[in-house]
Amino acid sequence: MIQPLSGIQNTVAALDAERTRLDVISENIANANTTHGLDGKPYQRKVVVFESALQQAIGAGGNASLTPQLRVARIDKDNRPPVQIYAPGNPEADERGMVSTPNINVHEEMADLINASRAFEANLAVVKNEKSMAMQTLSIGKH
Amino acid sequence: MIEGLFNQPSYLAAKKTLDAVAVRQEAIANNIANLETPGYKRVDLSPTFRHELDRACSSGDAQQIAALKPTLAQDTTAVANSRDGNSVNLESEMMQLNQNTMAHTLETQMVSSMLMRLKMAITGKSA
Repeated sequence: MIQPLSGIQNTVAALDAERTRLDVISENIANANTTHGLDGKPYQRKVVVFESALQQAIGAGGNASLTPQLRVARIDKDNRPPVQIYAPGNPEADERGMVSTPNINVHEEMADLINASRAFEANLAVVKNEKSMAMQTLSIGKH
Repeated sequence: MIEGLFNQPSYLAAKKTLDAVAVRQEAIANNIANLETPGYKRVDLSPTFRHELDRACSSGDAQQIAALKPTLAQDTTAVANSRDGNSVNLESEMMQLNQNTMAHTLETQMVSSMLMRLKMAITGKSA
């Protein structure tokens, strides 16, 4: 039996995962200048790690391993060292006048942000198309 | 006896094509969902379906058409376009998504118009 909206669970999972990624990127950008985080150290860049999960319900295609579901495995810290800048006037500066700033490159974050929002938009377009197709299917037999 | 009304090969073929379009939509949705999954290989409607449908249609045997089942299969012709081995190309998927939506419109209208003609024949009234 072929169901309308059969592939939608995977699209929704992808939307969810991309949304998490967008949240993490915005957190990174917001904290690009946080030299004194909650643990007293400069903010460390966070990265989203994606993983595939096998879909529970097997769709019309039959083979679940062909169509894995995207999900967020964990949010990890980027272990690159903090960026040292010379700012002797800063209260956070050490005896040599160096301040440890977060290991965030705003340009890198912006590129990631664009990637994530494009992927989000693409999945949203799938949802829209899928909906209009389901509506057409439901109107079979009406004029 | 009523089954006889819905057993013309052309009606069955239109229905099967509609099923195939739905499976293809699932394939494209999955490809877009796994746009960033490392090592993911794009899936599509099984390429043998087209030949099977062709063969069944030219035989004109309603049973043979009704027994067809469109399935998903890995697209072995797609090449990985990045270092992580993922073979999904967003632009081509979006294009195929729109093509598939149009194909779906066509097929639903085909099935619909066949049913309408049947209704017209039964009632003797148009629309």
